Amino acid sequence: MPDFFVTMGVGLCILMFLTLVRAFRGPTAIDRIIGVNVIGTKTTVLLVIIGIVYGRVDMFVDISLAYALLNFIATLAAARYFQHHKELRETGFFLRKRDRR
Amino acid sequence: MIWCFDFIILLMLVTCAFAAIWSKGLLSAGMILSAYSFLMALLWTEMGAVDVAFTEAAVGAGVSTVFMIAVVYHTRRFIQPRRYGRMFFKLMGLLATLILGGLSLYAASDFPSWADPSEPASLHVAPYYIENTIRDTAVPNVVTSVLADYRGFDTMFETTVILTAGLVAHAVLRRLGRRRDPNRKTNDGRPVEAHTSIVVQRIARIMVPFIQLYALYVVAHGHHSPGGGFQGGVILGASFILVGLAYNIQTVLARFSEPLGVLLANTGVLLYAGIGVACMVLGANFLDYGILSRVLPGTSPVMARSHAMLGVEIGVAIAVSAIMVSIYINTASKGYHDQGL
Repeated sequence: MPDFFVTMGVGLCILMFLTLVRAFRGPTAIDRIIGVNVIGTKTTVLLVIIGIVYGRVDMFVDISLAYALLNFIATLAAARYFQHHKELRETGFFLRKRDRR
Repeated sequence: MIWCFDFIILLMLVTCAFAAIWSKGLLSAGMILSAYSFLMALLWTEMGAVDVAFTEAAVGAGVSTVFMIAVVYHTRRFIQPRRYGRMFFKLMGLLATLILGGLSLYAASDFPSWADPSEPASLHVAPYYIENTIRDTAVPNVVTSVLADYRGFDTMFETTVILTAGLVAHAVLRRLGRRRDPNRKTNDGRPVEAHTSIVVQRIARIMVPFIQLYALYVVAHGHHSPGGGFQGGVILGASFILVGLAYNIQTVLARFSEPLGVLLANTGVLLYAGIGVACMVLGANFLDYGILSRVLPGTSPVMARSHAMLGVEIGVAIAVSAIMVSIYINTASKGYHDQGL
């Protein structure tokens, strides 16, 4: 049975990697924000799975709850940022002069 | 099989670190560092350091990314291209990285293997703490008893460091007696006061009481489960930050005014130090809680240590939550305390 949960955890880790690719490549900043938010959601589940593997769910579920309650605050802050700054694309090298503030 | 976890998480951590450095947009770098913090918490959990993972969870998910975004909001979002000496700085940076990285890799080969019982760190005082914490303090969570009792002196000054950080942020950022034009425009010509969303406000209204209740649970239950004053304080502060994000800075200030914040931050540290001084007054050493059984009715010295630890944790929680709210308000409103992120 623990093998089942470890396999599931590793599978979730691989899915997390795919989300991370979106967070890195992003074309727009919104893609990155959503990518990071999904990583947070997966972390919540993974923490409980690690707890089951170690046989101490009561210890690990607290951390998971903290993520479940607080995970969206950073996303909300980033979303508030884009209410003021509408420039979403981050090409990096080819910034127009207006964006270099 | 568990090494698969380690391998994937470490791989993702290194990728995150590289991506954060490479990213030209500072906001994206902040978001990637937030993902880094998630992965770090996972790694610590996987290694069994649940209290450290909890701190990372509370700080990383709750406040640190919000602080970074608030700072980027008031400075600039993209890295300025440097005009002179670029190649020289790059070469020097590469040289320094290679030397320091090589030295750390060289030192890493001497490290004891993970969870080795004969490593130096677990030979001296650690076995004493693990074997005697129930007998001495009746606290099942060894981390809490080490933090608040055996090593209480260190924790007191850690709290003082946080207080200093909060006071410095207040002293540097706060602009007293000046007001900004409420009808001013942002750099790209939009009104500053962003329209608020009814969905976000309703969700915040529902979530905030639960977050605060959970924060109190984390503080009070730190003796038995991961958590304690610091984590609970950060979660409590994050709930006020959520109010500030969903509504505005004025809504937070109406509930958590500036003088109250400064007062609570100092009260928290004073409560910690006061418990220590109370021990001295009763004739024991500073922060030697056992003697408090003389004033706490119906307690043995062992239970007095347990209760005094709770008092100390409450002090830490009060200080930390007040300072987190204060730092957020000062960074988000650039010290004007009128409009925020």
